[in-house]
Amino acid sequence: MAGGQERTLRRRIKTVQATRKITKAMELIAASQITRSQARLSANRGYRDGMRRIVLEAAQADSTAARHLLGTPERVERALVLVVAGDRGLSGAYNASVLRAGEHLVGSLRAQGTTARLVVVGKKAAPYYRFRGLSVERSFVGFADRPTFADARDVAAHVAASFVEGDVQQVLLVSTRFHSAGSQSVATVQLLPLVVDATAAPSEASAGLRGYTEFEPEPERLLRELTPRALESEIFRALLEGAASFHTSQQRAMAAATDNADELGQTLTRIMNRARQDSITTEIMEIVGGAEALRTGK
Amino acid sequence: MASLVVELVTPEAVLYAGEAQGLMLRSTDGEFTVLPEHATTVGDVVPSVVTVATAAGPVAFAVHGGYFEVVTAGSARDTRATILAGVAERTSDIDVPRAQAAKERLEARVAAARTDDDHAALTLAVEALARADLRLRAAHEALSAR
Repeated sequence: MAGGQERTLRRRIKTVQATRKITKAMELIAASQITRSQARLSANRGYRDGMRRIVLEAAQADSTAARHLLGTPERVERALVLVVAGDRGLSGAYNASVLRAGEHLVGSLRAQGTTARLVVVGKKAAPYYRFRGLSVERSFVGFADRPTFADARDVAAHVAASFVEGDVQQVLLVSTRFHSAGSQSVATVQLLPLVVDATAAPSEASAGLRGYTEFEPEPERLLRELTPRALESEIFRALLEGAASFHTSQQRAMAAATDNADELGQTLTRIMNRARQDSITTEIMEIVGGAEALRTGK
Repeated sequence: MASLVVELVTPEAVLYAGEAQGLMLRSTDGEFTVLPEHATTVGDVVPSVVTVATAAGPVAFAVHGGYFEVVTAGSARDTRATILAGVAERTSDIDVPRAQAAKERLEARVAAARTDDDHAALTLAVEALARADLRLRAAHEALSAR
């Protein structure tokens, strides 16, 4: 019967509207988190740039000590891969793309004969790799949305321990870089040995004074102490950028979901109206038909 | 005149940024004072109280270890001093009763770790205790200076 169809449609519209409410709320929450995580990212910039500058200066002052700590190792038997993903889903391709990049990296390392050990951040990461038969050595969860420096320290301590003990010769990081609110991309970088990129450290003033820098204590000792701190700084930055990217993708995904719900609601409303119109027409036809039959029968 | 700009940054925030007359800190090699036109230097900061002398009086920070960079450049010989600290706080922001309570709690934890012979826990507890102790000392210094 036509009335039955109308009722089902009305129920579906209600469901779609309820879902829309949720996606809209998530969109707004994510949008407010974007601003916050971007602010945290820019608050971190001074520290991160300063850290890079100091590492660079110390490395240039003592190149022999630097050689042990910096640069790409010639032979990598075992590498540690750190993948930074999110704790929650409903964020578009954010988790999938970074996790896939990590998987590819592990695959290509294996092809080169390197054993890869996986350390992951984010609740979504470990199940993904376990399902694909990759063992995850350690999974850090619970702070991907709002990482604190203490969280970064925990991750860094775990990663650095393997490197210092000589268990791994290289530490690679797979994470999402936050270029701007409109552009994020997955990137793989080497964390350890530290990569000193002169272009990455904008040192306006110190650039012209290299070679005249005094050190306290001497650069070799400084560099040794500096390495774990620099690692913490880089990991913290990756976590912050990951969080910012996560919120951005979630906002975008939820905005799209809200739009879809709107569209679906509209289509369903149209179908429902037509069904109602149809049933009314049928009813009128029946009444008219009945009346006509009665009149002719008289 | 040559000027001095001091910046104290942590990974989560910029704690201080502005003109200063001087900067007092402690590195592995000892006490260190930075004045305008100080030679370009890079070094570490041991857990201690770092004081920035400003026109409005000294501002003190409890710095739980970090690094510093002093750069003097340009024709004006302007000096920029940056302190990078993993954890730092303004001494006037320290809640003394809370810091005291934290210290006592950590002392108990150190004692517990010592009796259990748990080396990892002991190291952690000793480090945390050192931080709590510095925080408390810094807060007391701030109070007595007032």
